Amino acid sequence: MGRTLKKTASKAPDAATSSNQPGLKSLERRRILQDWAFISPQLFLFVMLTLVPFLFAIPILFTDMANFTDPSVNNVGWANFTAIFDNPSVAADYFPALKRTLIFVGLNYTTVYIFGLSLALLMFEFGVRRGFFTIIYMPLMLSGLAVGYLAVMLFAQQTGSMNLFLLDIGLISKPFDIFSANGTRWILPAMVGWRYAGFNMAIFLVGLLAIPTDTIEASIVDGASYWQRLTRVYFPQMWPSFIIATTMALIGAFSVFDELVAMGALYVNPEAKLLSILFFTYGFQIDRLALGMTLAVITSVPLIIVGVLLLRLQRRLQY
Amino acid sequence: MTNETETAEPTQAGKHRTPSYRRKRKIYAGIAVAVMIIYSLLTLIPFYVLGVRSTVPTKESTTLHLWIPEADEVNLDAQVGNLAVFYDLDLADFKEAIGIPPTVFLSARTSLRDISEEYDIPEAEIRSFFSGFYTYNGWRTILGDEQFYGALGRTLLITVVSLVGLTILSVFTGYGLAGLRRRDQRIVYSTYLLQMVIPAMLILLPQFLVIQWITNLIPGFSDPGMTRVVTQLASIVAINVKGTAFSVLIFTAFINGIPRELEESAMIDGASRMQYVWRILMPLIKAPIVALVVVQLPLIYNQFLEPFVYLDPRNSTLLPYIQSTVGVYSTNFQVIYAAILASIIPLMIVYTVFRKMFVKGALAGAVKG
Repeated sequence: MGRTLKKTASKAPDAATSSNQPGLKSLERRRILQDWAFISPQLFLFVMLTLVPFLFAIPILFTDMANFTDPSVNNVGWANFTAIFDNPSVAADYFPALKRTLIFVGLNYTTVYIFGLSLALLMFEFGVRRGFFTIIYMPLMLSGLAVGYLAVMLFAQQTGSMNLFLLDIGLISKPFDIFSANGTRWILPAMVGWRYAGFNMAIFLVGLLAIPTDTIEASIVDGASYWQRLTRVYFPQMWPSFIIATTMALIGAFSVFDELVAMGALYVNPEAKLLSILFFTYGFQIDRLALGMTLAVITSVPLIIVGVLLLRLQRRLQY
Repeated sequence: MTNETETAEPTQAGKHRTPSYRRKRKIYAGIAVAVMIIYSLLTLIPFYVLGVRSTVPTKESTTLHLWIPEADEVNLDAQVGNLAVFYDLDLADFKEAIGIPPTVFLSARTSLRDISEEYDIPEAEIRSFFSGFYTYNGWRTILGDEQFYGALGRTLLITVVSLVGLTILSVFTGYGLAGLRRRDQRIVYSTYLLQMVIPAMLILLPQFLVIQWITNLIPGFSDPGMTRVVTQLASIVAINVKGTAFSVLIFTAFINGIPRELEESAMIDGASRMQYVWRILMPLIKAPIVALVVVQLPLIYNQFLEPFVYLDPRNSTLLPYIQSTVGVYSTNFQVIYAAILASIIPLMIVYTVFRKMFVKGALAGAVKG
C-alpha cells in the first residue's frame, strides 16, 4: 500500500502542470495508469492467492507427490484422475464422502428456505422488527467450530442437553446420537441452517423490500389469495435473491469444514467425513497430496460451471 | 402473472378494508409474532445451554441441568496429589487460602481429612474452598492458561489489521474500477466475481503450495523466531485482505453512484486522486465500509482453517488453540464448553454494542450479495 501511495503522490504535481496543455490521449493514459495504481495492490494479492495456486497445482495433478515436502516426485499421467474407478481404497474413501456431501448440500439447501425464506416473509408481512432480527442474526457471530461443538453439546447420545431435555419431557423415547450416520445427516444441516438463518433471511428480506408496493397492493385489491400473491407477485420479482441464496448455499455447503472438525471428523467420527475433510486428510495427514488435489478438481469443476451459469443468469435478470 | 389476478371477482375488491379482514389480519399478526418469539427462543437456547454446561462437571453431564449446578461436597478422603492433577490445583495457593504456612510440605498422599485434623481447620472451610473448583473448574483451566491470552491477542491483532487492510485496499479497488467504463476494468471486475464460485475446499491445498513457496523464500523463516511468527501471521492477513467478490461489488457500485463532478472539482482545486480518496471519498462511503466490516468481522475473527494450517501451534489464534485444548481435555466437557464460550464472548460483546450497525450492514450487504 505504501508503494501506491508514493507512486500517486509523486504524480500529483505534474498532473497539475500538464493539464494546462492537455493532449487528450496522454491525459486518458495517465488516468488509466492511476486507476491501475489503485487496483493493483489488492489485485496482486488476489491473483497470487486465488488464481496462481491453480497454475501451481495443474502440473502436480499428474504426479504422485505425497506431501508438501515430498523430495521424489514422479510423473504418473492420468492415474490420479482414474483412481476413483480403479483404486478401491480411493473409491472407498471418495464415494461415501461424496454421498454424504450431496445429502448435506441438499438438506442444507432446504434449510435456506425453511429458516431463511419463511422468516423473511414473516418479517416482511408484519413489519421488520429489529429486536427479532438482532436475535436471529446472532448465530452468525459463532464460529463453525463453535456450532459443531454446540451440536455435540445438544445431541451427544449420553450427555446431550437437548437429548436429556426431550427425554425428560417424554417427547422422544430414544436419544439422538450425533455420532451415528443418521444423527450426523440430520443434525448437521439443521445446525448449519440455524447458523445462517439470519443471513439468508436478510437476502430474501432485501428481495422482498425491493418489490414495488403498488404491485402488491394491486394484487390485494384484486383479491388474490396469499399463495397467489407469493407465486405470482413476490417470487417472480425476487429472482436475484433466489440466485444469490442458491449460489451461496451450494458453494458454501460443499466446503463446510469447521463444523465437521468439531464433530470429530478428523479422527473419531467417520460419519462426518465429507469431501472437504477427505481432501484435507489426503493433503495434510496421509500423504496423498496429488490425489487429494485431483479429487478436489474433479469435484469442483461441475460446481464452478453451475456457479458461473447462475451468476450469468443473475446478471441477465438484473438488467 | 396477471391472468389470475385480473379474473378475480370484482366483488372481492376492497375486501382488505372490511372489519372481518382486519380482524383476520390481527389474528395472523399475533400468530406471526408468536412464531417469531418461538424461533428467537430456539436461537437463544443453545447460548444459554452453553453457559450452563460450562459449569456442569463432566461426571454430572449425563443428567439434565437447566441452571448452574449446586457445588457438590468435596470428598474429604481425596488426596492432595490427585486433586492437584484433577483440578489443576496450585498447592501454594491452597495453603495460603486455608492458612497453612507456606513452608509446610504437603505430601501428595495427604488427604483433606488429614489436613483438617492436623492443622485444626474446620471441614466447612476446606469444602467452601473447593466448591469454586467444582463448578468453575473449566473456567479456571481456560482463564488460567497463559496460551489463551496469547491466542486471543493474536486473533484480535489479525482481525484488526485484516479489517483495516481489507477496507483500504477494497476502497482503492472500487475507486479504480468505478464505472466499469473500460474493458480492462470489466475484466478485473469479472476476475473478482470468480471468487464467489470457487469452493474453499478446492483452493486449500494449492494455496498452501504457493504460500509455502513464498514463505520459504524469506530468509530465516525455517528457524523458530520472530521472522517465522511474523511471516506466518502476515500470510493469514494476506489471505484476508486479498479481496472478495463481495468487497469489490459493494465498493464499485457505491463509488459509481457518487457524482463525477465532485472529483473533477477536487482536481480543479489541485487535489491529487489520492487526496480525493482520503479526504472526500472515504467520508462519503461510510455505509459500504460499515457493511463490509460487519460482514467480514465474524468471518475473520472466527477463522479456523487458515490459522490451523499456516500457524505453528505455539503461535496460534483462538480457534486452533481451542481445538488443541479439546484434544488435551478430550473428555472434560466442562473445560471444552468453557473454552468455546470464552471464544464467543468478545465478538458477542461487539455484536450487542453495535447491533444496529450489524443489522443495517447485513441488509446493505444482502443487496449486493
